Amino acid sequence: MAGFLAIIAAGDPPMKLAKYVKFREEKFGSVLFETRSEKVYTLNPTATAVVRELQAGRDERDIPGRLKERFRDDSGAIEREVVAFFAELREKGLVED
Amino acid sequence: MATQASGPGVGSQVPVTTPAATESGDLGAPLYIAWQVTNECNLACLHCIEESGPGKAFRDELTDEQVFSVLEQALDLEVPYLSFSGGEPMVHPRFFDMVEYVCGRNGQLKIETNGHYLSPENCARLKRLGVKAVQVSLDGATKETFNRMRVRGDFDRALEGVRNLRAAGVPIEINYSPTCFNAHEIGVAVDLAAELGAYSFYSGRTMYTGNAVKTWHRLALSEAQYDTFFEVLHQKTGEYRGRMRVHFHEMGLLEELRYRLHHPAALLIVLPNGLVKLINALPFVCGDLRLQTLGEIWARFQQAWQDPRVAKFVDDLAKDPGKTASLHQWVYL
Repeated sequence: MAGFLAIIAAGDPPMKLAKYVKFREEKFGSVLFETRSEKVYTLNPTATAVVRELQAGRDERDIPGRLKERFRDDSGAIEREVVAFFAELREKGLVED
Repeated sequence: MATQASGPGVGSQVPVTTPAATESGDLGAPLYIAWQVTNECNLACLHCIEESGPGKAFRDELTDEQVFSVLEQALDLEVPYLSFSGGEPMVHPRFFDMVEYVCGRNGQLKIETNGHYLSPENCARLKRLGVKAVQVSLDGATKETFNRMRVRGDFDRALEGVRNLRAAGVPIEINYSPTCFNAHEIGVAVDLAAELGAYSFYSGRTMYTGNAVKTWHRLALSEAQYDTFFEVLHQKTGEYRGRMRVHFHEMGLLEELRYRLHHPAALLIVLPNGLVKLINALPFVCGDLRLQTLGEIWARFQQAWQDPRVAKFVDDLAKDPGKTASLHQWVYL
């Protein structure tokens, strides 16, 4: 896990949803709507939990561990996927620091 | 990050789509409300897909109280994205109050305008209120074609309006409707949009409906003209990649409607009198915001698409493309 999280340097500004991104929870999870490109991203419950944590102002570095606990995942898969998800959110311009 | 995935896995790819392509079935509310806030317009454009123009406001347009009730409902339902169009939305007497309400509640709002009311003051106000974007119709790269198409309109004034938006820092989108007399200017028009600082450029096929029915003989493009038109747009898409999004629909109406029958978009079209249409290109009305709540209308939206009259209309359209002339003769489902 430390390897994956190494890309998140201490002291980085907190990650938050980008200005033109709207988040809405749904029965199946949630949607992220990037209103400039008019793209809609559908998220499953776990990804929704990640965005909810971001919305709550949680530090990016704390979120993988929190979700690992919540989903009782000892395999490390959740942590890896959450970090990959952060990278994907950044790459798609859905978050800003 | 697949939709409806269960279990703890987050997945590695976030499915992406657009509001128009996002199916409505699983959503608790629309993702997009396209609201024609008035049918009144200062211009009398030849190609208008509505039946808008000077003195063409509906007699039964929503009252102020109804307008703000609908806005309140939309924002309570967390509809993330709204657009105001018309007619010309900026002639609505409560236009800026409506903008202020939506933006004040953190809604993302796009204004679709002919650009004739974009004074420096109005642009500064739109910026201050925080609109997401203003889309201006510039159907021509020259005064000659623009003014021919937009009766009572003035190319220079629209252009000045776009420049005022830029000066105020409002994100700009440009819309272009092709006809037989302006299609050849498409390449220059895309270049002009980029020069004016637009971040998006939209186009597609002009529809045979609204005012365009009466003027079709002066507007219609042949398929060969459309081929050339879209070829240029493909080229421009590549040319401006990373700088300006060039977005266009090549799909014919029939193809689009056949797809929609099985995949209704997460989009509601609201008319100036509060009637809600399934989609702009069909005459079917699935609710009335004067009598029902937005939530009630959304709850039966899917079911309304399954009404056999909808599929029959689409089938009939295949035999008679001229049926789009009747889109404004609303059919209540």
